[in-house]
Amino acid sequence: MVRVSKELMQKAATLVSDFLVCPLSKQPLRYCQESNSLISDAIAVSFPIKNGIPCLVPRDGKILNEEDASKPDNDTNL
Amino acid sequence: MQRDRAAWLMPQTDPLLHTVAHNLLDRLQDCKKTFPSALCLGGSLQAVTRSIRGHGGIEKLIVMDASHDMVQRCKNDYHASNNENIETTFVVGDEEFLPIKESSVDLVISCLGLHWTNDLPGAMIQSMLALKPDGLFLAAILGGETLKELRIACTIAQMEREGGISPRISPLAQVRDAGNLLTRAGFNLPGVDVDEYTVKYPSALELIEHLRAMGETNALSQMNAMLKRDTALATAAIYDSMFASEDGTVPATFQVIYMTGWKEHSSQQKPKRRGSATVSFKDIQKQFGNQS
Repeated sequence: MVRVSKELMQKAATLVSDFLVCPLSKQPLRYCQESNSLISDAIAVSFPIKNGIPCLVPRDGKILNEEDASKPDNDTNL
Repeated sequence: MQRDRAAWLMPQTDPLLHTVAHNLLDRLQDCKKTFPSALCLGGSLQAVTRSIRGHGGIEKLIVMDASHDMVQRCKNDYHASNNENIETTFVVGDEEFLPIKESSVDLVISCLGLHWTNDLPGAMIQSMLALKPDGLFLAAILGGETLKELRIACTIAQMEREGGISPRISPLAQVRDAGNLLTRAGFNLPGVDVDEYTVKYPSALELIEHLRAMGETNALSQMNAMLKRDTALATAAIYDSMFASEDGTVPATFQVIYMTGWKEHSSQQKPKRRGSATVSFKDIQKQFGNQS
């Protein structure tokens, strides 16, 4: 695992929040550290991040069941 | 899937892709504007990202393709090149379902990628929405004249083998449609430019192999049926006999349509509303008509 500097993480986070949205709802995404994914709360779908690359194509979206959807506390706020 | 396979087969540097990418990026220099944030849509990602430094004042770049492999390769290339002055994000995304916030980027650039999509007008609208007011859409796509030699050879091969032809319409855009595509997508000040490139191949079969490597066989999917093994050989033979030069090489035409469009902004020129004229032709004639 490569240790990424905090500065780099923050830069990446702002790039994500400044430009990226859910491909289906066009609503903001939130990063979930636990599952290493970007979550679209608007439609309760999560998109995986593979090798540091967010996969925001509709077919990669995973519908969250109720348990996953109601765990906002562990998530990082961008 | 088509693009994933192409990601690994494509040669690191393809001369045609680089020529087109450079041409596209030169157009940025012609603009007086700078484009701090840019979205680069798939197709010839690497050709663009390698040359993008210094063009257009880009500070933040989002690199996007529908294929994870393509994006991964681009990312590896980027890290290996030590060219990391531009803040770059790599994303897997579909231009028909663009995961980009509305009015967030100054520039959308796509080099030989949009002819892949099933819904080109839709993809262009998505790009338009992503642009900030006065933002620029810059795209190069393959035009209808591309591989006309191959189409001819295919048609003849089919005639000989099947005794008739079914009309085949090229799925690639015609130059005359490009302007319409831009205006219908909501862009202002549309600009269309065409270039034809002739690439020489040692033989027709090598061309067919190169096509598969470029990933362009999907754009010509209607010809895919023709490229079954035995028909491919027949087509290649006809192609060679019809088009080969004295030295045995064969030419292949690639028509590239360059499109530019601007996201609406109050500073831009706009034609006045119909009926809002304050001067009539009669007045103009009165003024100038007697000066012959």
